[in-house]
Amino acid sequence: MEAALSEHPHPEPVLRILDALLTRRAPDAWARLQALDFGAAYAGTGRRCPGPAPFTVEETEVLMRAGVAAPNTWTLADAARTALLLRRLADHPAETHPSVLRHLYRTGDAGERIALLRALPLLPMPERFADIAIEACRTHVQDVFEALACDNAYPAACLADAPFNQMVLKALFTGVPLARIHGLGQRRNADLARMAAAYASERRAAGRPVPDDLALALEDAAP
Amino acid sequence: MKMVDPHIHMTSRTTDDYEAMRDAGIAVVVEPAFWQGQPRTHVGTFEDYFLSLIGWERFRARQFGIRHFCTIGLNPKEANNADVAEGVMDLLPRYLEKDGVVAVGEIGYDDQTPVEERYFGEQIELARAHDLPVLIHTPHRDKKKGTERSLALVRECRFPEERVLIDHNTEETLPLVLDTGCWAGHSIYPHTKMDEDRMVALVKAYGAARIIINSAADWGVSDPLKVPKTARLMRDAGIPEAQIETIVWHNPIAFFGQSGRLDIDTPAPVDQRQLWEGNSVLRGQNPVIEA
Repeated sequence: MEAALSEHPHPEPVLRILDALLTRRAPDAWARLQALDFGAAYAGTGRRCPGPAPFTVEETEVLMRAGVAAPNTWTLADAARTALLLRRLADHPAETHPSVLRHLYRTGDAGERIALLRALPLLPMPERFADIAIEACRTHVQDVFEALACDNAYPAACLADAPFNQMVLKALFTGVPLARIHGLGQRRNADLARMAAAYASERRAAGRPVPDDLALALEDAAP
Repeated sequence: MKMVDPHIHMTSRTTDDYEAMRDAGIAVVVEPAFWQGQPRTHVGTFEDYFLSLIGWERFRARQFGIRHFCTIGLNPKEANNADVAEGVMDLLPRYLEKDGVVAVGEIGYDDQTPVEERYFGEQIELARAHDLPVLIHTPHRDKKKGTERSLALVRECRFPEERVLIDHNTEETLPLVLDTGCWAGHSIYPHTKMDEDRMVALVKAYGAARIIINSAADWGVSDPLKVPKTARLMRDAGIPEAQIETIVWHNPIAFFGQSGRLDIDTPAPVDQRQLWEGNSVLRGQNPVIEA
């Protein structure tokens, strides 16, 4: 099932699922996290909620409909951080959201940033946070880059061509399979095709292999 | 034998060092927050440094199969800078909550000024509040007195001594530390501070209990392989294998494990195939892939 970014994602069903998962898997840790102040909770989630996030089939379907392309890649810490963030945003006026997100991203370690980027499709009016996604694309920390570029509906839904194309190019030259870029088929454009073809030419001139899947970035690729 | 370097400033070191460390058996490092050779002039510089310790440097280490943890704190030298000290203290409650921060440090004395003492004491209290052990830097000038004052302050604060690591010990300070319940770290340097031969003598005299060694390798003339080199010399000198393993593995793991955040049990295998030229640590080399 292709996940699509909901036009007006309602947090309630998603929050219920995350809460249910956390209560099943780490009830004491989840209770503790909810009692801490937001900053301390968000920071200290990784060590308190280790392991994967085993969503049920039904939960997975709801998350995919809400815009999470690959819930099976989420960790328990991602689920906890997303729940904390959704609650925080619900409790604060919309005009504060961009600065809350920016501060959270800027002061986050890799784990916190990864969780935030994975949660982007679920946030209210997520197009407001495009600058954070663009900043994430500049990172050298590959896991953080992949949290945005791979299995995430956000870039295809919310990034303009120029930053989207830069993300695809970076995926190409950091060895990320293009098939993991959600919605690439719908976002192919002439500029991206030119840049990808130029990259292929640069590789051939250097006597280096061209990635097998580069064709996925070209305009005449099958959708 | 797997080893820990529990005090090393990897921010100052190149990937050549990471490769050599990995090849020599170092599996875990702890990088303490310290000063960077000249005074910082903005609180933001500290914040970005803390972020690099928990972000980029941790990732950089992992690409060589090394688990990286850090300590966070206001170091003794810069505690004297009124411009930034309070601002840095204001950052600490947030950064001490991060996963992978395994102690408050490096704290302690440098010139042994009253303001250093104030921030030393306040950070001991922060360690208590955040349930973290403490890494104490002993001054290189007037070290014996600085060590005595550090031990006295720990006692005065009634901070549990088994959660205190007094670092950069010498022949004169080690017995003082071992008389308490604190752990004793030793920084093995090429020309200054402690060296391998003297370290072997100390282990022969005092045994391995609560003894920790490190390279404290930084931006200056220092050697990130001092832990394996000292281990080898201990072996050559007939120190039993079990004692060596205690010093280079079990002791640092036990000490920093008290933080509850020393997650070494699930090492991520190295897959440099994900990294390619351009924005990664590889620049066209063949990637290393571990199954």
